[in-house]
Amino acid sequence: MAKCLPEVLLELARADERICGVSCDCWGFLAPLAHEFPLRAIEVGIAEQNLIGVGAGLAVRGKIPFVIGMNPFVTMRCFEQIRTDLGYGSRNVKVIGGYGSGVSFAGWGCTHHAMEEIALMRLIPTMTVMMPADAFEAERAVRAAAAINGPCYLSNAGGELPLGIPEDQRSFGMGKAALLRAGDDVTIFACGAATAEALRGADLLAERGVASRVYSMHTVKPLDTEAVLKAAQETRLILTIEEHTTIGGLGGAVAETLAESATGTPLRRLGLQDTFACMVGGYGDMKARFGITAEAIVDAVLNEKP
Amino acid sequence: MPTDRQTLTADLSEIARRIRVWVVRIAGMSDCHTGGSLSIAEILAGLYFHTMRVDPADPAWPGRDYLILSKGHCVPGLDAALALRGYFAPEHLVTHLELDSIISGHACARITPGIDVSTGSLGHGLSIGVGIALGVRMDAADNRVFVILGDGELQEGSNWEAAMSASHHKLESLVAIIDRNRYQTGPTEEMMSLEPLAAKWAAFGWSVRTIDGNDTAAVIDALDALPFEPGRPSAIIAETVKGKGVSLSTNQHMNRFDEAQLKQALQELGEPV
Repeated sequence: MAKCLPEVLLELARADERICGVSCDCWGFLAPLAHEFPLRAIEVGIAEQNLIGVGAGLAVRGKIPFVIGMNPFVTMRCFEQIRTDLGYGSRNVKVIGGYGSGVSFAGWGCTHHAMEEIALMRLIPTMTVMMPADAFEAERAVRAAAAINGPCYLSNAGGELPLGIPEDQRSFGMGKAALLRAGDDVTIFACGAATAEALRGADLLAERGVASRVYSMHTVKPLDTEAVLKAAQETRLILTIEEHTTIGGLGGAVAETLAESATGTPLRRLGLQDTFACMVGGYGDMKARFGITAEAIVDAVLNEKP
Repeated sequence: MPTDRQTLTADLSEIARRIRVWVVRIAGMSDCHTGGSLSIAEILAGLYFHTMRVDPADPAWPGRDYLILSKGHCVPGLDAALALRGYFAPEHLVTHLELDSIISGHACARITPGIDVSTGSLGHGLSIGVGIALGVRMDAADNRVFVILGDGELQEGSNWEAAMSASHHKLESLVAIIDRNRYQTGPTEEMMSLEPLAAKWAAFGWSVRTIDGNDTAAVIDALDALPFEPGRPSAIIAETVKGKGVSLSTNQHMNRFDEAQLKQALQELGEPV
């Protein structure tokens, strides 16, 4: 059973005294750490710019801070602090999007959708960007983030949705796409919570005789271009699916790789098509309306344009 | 005033003068943020030659005190102080903006020895100072953290997030020095007023002193009195003149001196031409 982020953080902190946490009104993530190491858990209140600056300062002092806020706010409000104070300095700070990856806040409104988190974070040189698919990957991503020296954005994405694959049949390596299903007709690259939709889409396609290869592209930067190019050579169509605008996110990253290759393999990017997800309704309703579902995958494959 | 205090004041005033001379020389070679570099000369002299614990031979020494120049465009003044303190040869200073120079247009930790934090976009430095001070506390160490801010810079709201958190966390080792030169691209109080400035810092939980920031003795007295109160961060509002000591730079943001202007500026600073 995967451990939750606060437990992992405490475990890491026990093993390395440089590890500490800074919370932007997300104290729940630091509670176990604070209980055992009160000086190493810091609350800054609702203040994302200060959150990142404080993290940068801790790194200047040689600490390894995990700074935690809500995905839409911790990637946008303080973008310049992340870019300049973390990226330019190549500071050893791990930015954690703790709540609200993608459109998981659904009907709570567009202010709370992190539909640009990947695009913004991958723009920044030196940043590693991780969008784990579920708790299994999230735990490993947190450990991997702590082990590298440099800034990292990690979305606590997808977390609760189990992928239905036994842990002993899974693997995780930073920068290495995780193969969740083998198949040679089409390839689906997914990240974050959309990965569960990708697997369900593969099931629906299998009923129609289409064999899908499904990857969790949990590390969007650096992208596993090898997996993308291999898929382009071995399967006839590539799809990406993400709870994100298709501009600049996983779909954008895969498109960049394919465009510079000579494979000519077609690509379909599922996600928000340059639109805000403006509606009131549930999470499933929203994903259905904006085409971020297994059914949208099936539709994209069966109505494939030449 | 005891004699040693008089000597110290005279010595630091001379260092401030030499910082200004180098800033002016830089402006003789290239565009240069003169005004805000000249206004903080006494502060830089006091910090680097009296107050701060540093080792120019080992800029990353963990025992060092930290300085963040949050108003990063005034790096010519900081670079001059670092050179005079021995971080690098002063001759580098007049390579400002040249290809592959170690003297960059804004404070750059990746390029210039002795600079811990890259700055230039205003409103970033104080938060970073808060982080360093928290890290020092985790180490149970006694390093101090100084952040020099422009007064116009305080119009950026991020500073007040940082100010709030510094007092909340009782960061006694943190010192904000506000270069109150009252000019940004125009007069600060006309563009977006800051007054009552001392009351604002006090309301945010800081212990505040307002001094004449171009009076070496006043600067030393303030630095020697730190922290002003136990359990609180300290703010020094340094009333200064933008472009102090050089008439051509008075209330100017930038200068590029021709030969005659350079000569005049150096003469005003009492430097043989």
